[in-house]
Amino acid sequence: MTRTLYMVSTTLFWLVVFGLGMTAVLWSPVEQGDAQAQGKTITLVELAKHAAPGNCWMAIRGSVYDLSGYLPGHPSPPDIVLPWCGKEATEAYDTKTKGRPHSPYADELLAKYRIGTLAKAP
Amino acid sequence: MSRLRTLSLPTLLLLFVGVPVFWAFPDALPFWRAVGIILGWAGAGLLLFNLLLMVREVRLASSLGGLERITAWHHQTGMAAYLLLLLHPLALAAAGWAESPELAWEVISPLSGNLAVWLGWGGLIFLMLGLAATFMSRLTYGVWRWLHSLLGGGVLIGFVHVLQLGISAGGLLALATAVLILLWRLLRVDLGTAAKPYIVTSVRSVAQSMVEISLKPLAMPVDAVPGQFVLTAFFRGPSYRGCGEFHPFTISGIGLEHELRIGVKALGDCTRRMQSLEPGVSARVHGPFGEFLKDLPSRPLLWVAGGIGITPFIGCLRQQSVATPTTLIYLYRGEQDAAYLDELAALSKHSPKLALQTEATGTGPPNLSRLLPDAGALANHECYVCGPPGLIKLVSRALIDRGVSIERIHFEHFDFR
Repeated sequence: MTRTLYMVSTTLFWLVVFGLGMTAVLWSPVEQGDAQAQGKTITLVELAKHAAPGNCWMAIRGSVYDLSGYLPGHPSPPDIVLPWCGKEATEAYDTKTKGRPHSPYADELLAKYRIGTLAKAP
Repeated sequence: MSRLRTLSLPTLLLLFVGVPVFWAFPDALPFWRAVGIILGWAGAGLLLFNLLLMVREVRLASSLGGLERITAWHHQTGMAAYLLLLLHPLALAAAGWAESPELAWEVISPLSGNLAVWLGWGGLIFLMLGLAATFMSRLTYGVWRWLHSLLGGGVLIGFVHVLQLGISAGGLLALATAVLILLWRLLRVDLGTAAKPYIVTSVRSVAQSMVEISLKPLAMPVDAVPGQFVLTAFFRGPSYRGCGEFHPFTISGIGLEHELRIGVKALGDCTRRMQSLEPGVSARVHGPFGEFLKDLPSRPLLWVAGGIGITPFIGCLRQQSVATPTTLIYLYRGEQDAAYLDELAALSKHSPKLALQTEATGTGPPNLSRLLPDAGALANHECYVCGPPGLIKLVSRALIDRGVSIERIHFEHFDFR
């Protein structure tokens, strides 16, 4: 009984994992515009211009992200996240509640909103 | 079993699963992500509980309802933990699916280059391989035990995965608890520090491929009663070299100077080697365990023994005559396999309340409809069955068909794999 449960669950697990991998390979949503934007260099001055809830850019670990579309879905209350719009927010990102960094899931999600590289300070 | 002992395991299970889930309960996260996190912590709690069930301390085992019950829970909770941990990454992927199939894959992909994800996969694959080995009943016990220990490695890697995710407090506590329990088990059980030193004083053949071994304590003896079992390992003697593995053996008698007698049937490599044991071989004895014939009720008893399953009953009868009307049905394949047959006949002559029925069944299943008393005669009986798993199943089913309630049927499996 337990043995059958093990075999059925393990087989189903690998089928789902394999299916997910194949879907991801066949899925090609990368837009040309995004690819071009990834190469864009953004200065701290330009970053600071996007400090509003509906126009929110943040610099995290050397990249700049446009989080305007994501913020309404962010789990934390707005007053925790909004003050970081238009700013370098790596430390805030790495030390969220209880001092934990964000999860790999958040890292993957964040990558979708990348619009460029933060220019190095002169 | 007392109410407290019945409730002990479910209460511990609730604590081990409830505390981590409560501590890590996600606040305002997307549904599937929250489910993924809860599944991960519930699985982690179940694994810790499962490790605790590997510890074999005499008092702890007794307060949790006996080693047999603990082992059954170990098997079931291990499987449940595995299922939860299989679902854990799938639920996290489902959370990503809401964004895009690509993100769903990236969250769990081992190709993502994320150390935490690699460790998660590592732990899961160790669990997968360890469980696969657990189900391979044809492996020799020594090989099986080594492969089974992969599961312990999987648990440790899993908790390092939690640490790598940055969950320091929970991860460290879980990892430290797992390491402590594994060390406890290794030192006390596998390396035998909980066992007491004994020496073999005599070895007697009692049937084909079965010997009865007498052991004298070299220090404090184990505090056992016949019918209980001990985990015993044999080491070196004048010309004997034991395999040093601890195996369960039922106590078939206890002498005045605390000498133990145990019945050993050749069922595997190690027990086959024990057939050539000799006086002077050193041994270690851990126990006693088992509740099988402890605290017998004062109502009529039905005892059914199959093959080597006779040992707890002969142990009990050697100690004292039965106090209530008792029917002992002893089934064996052929005369050459029937241990203690003459001794049982002699004991029943001097015990007016004992009715002995013996039967050679050959290789086929026994004719239980003829052998077992009918429903009327079984009313108010307490039934005890010991023997191979197939026989226990057959007899239990036949007894239930005769109206005996499941609470009045007691059996022992000796399946500690």
